[in-house]
Amino acid sequence: MVHALGEIRRVLVREAVLIDLRPLLEYAPVEIVSASETRLAGTADQLPDDRASDEAANRSIAKVEEQGWFTKEQEKFFPFNYYWDSPKEMQEHLEAEWSNSITVSEEVWRNIRSMWAVANADARVRIQLKMLITRWRRQE
Amino acid sequence: MAAQKDPEHNEIKFLNQFSNFSTSQRVLEIGCGDGRLTWRYARSVGRVVGVEIARDDLRIARIDHPSDLTDKVVFANADSIHLPFAKETFDLAVLSWSL
Repeated sequence: MVHALGEIRRVLVREAVLIDLRPLLEYAPVEIVSASETRLAGTADQLPDDRASDEAANRSIAKVEEQGWFTKEQEKFFPFNYYWDSPKEMQEHLEAEWSNSITVSEEVWRNIRSMWAVANADARVRIQLKMLITRWRRQE
Repeated sequence: MAAQKDPEHNEIKFLNQFSNFSTSQRVLEIGCGDGRLTWRYARSVGRVVGVEIARDDLRIARIDHPSDLTDKVVFANADSIHLPFAKETFDLAVLSWSL
């Protein structure tokens, strides 16, 4: 990752901006939402490999900051929501797209199913990701 | 139906705040995927090059390419370790879920 950041620095002009936009999966609530209510079924669990990848990214960015390649100017967190029309659709998505990053425990699945059984007609399933956005400035 | 992603548009709202886009900027997006985010800001900048290592995502990005952005957005199959561009080519880079 440090090499990649060096390569990005190479193709940027002096004083250019680098935006790092990425999800942090350490806390990802799974909810049943409708117009009238939001019910928390539990949280998805980040898998160890994905957590290690986050930590490696953090180490890389710290290293390039230490080397003076980029300086941090601004940082914020914001929610990024995924919605599905049913738990089954969410399950299919998790298996197809996120099998290496997060998992939902059987206990949380039980909660989802029981809440879904009595949910309003307009209900959807939601996973909320915590997003990190950081602005870096390229240095000499 | 597929997942609905960020219907609140938080991602583009924060990206706009942090990037100060202008129509003179040459933007490199690393990990552009299927272009989901690219299409949301491309009209605000001068030119975008989206790089993506996953060929299948790039295929979708090229298929979904809006006709009014034909001259403004191009895609390349590359990874961030070997960017096929000369030094000091871009004014702004976006690491799109790719660090």
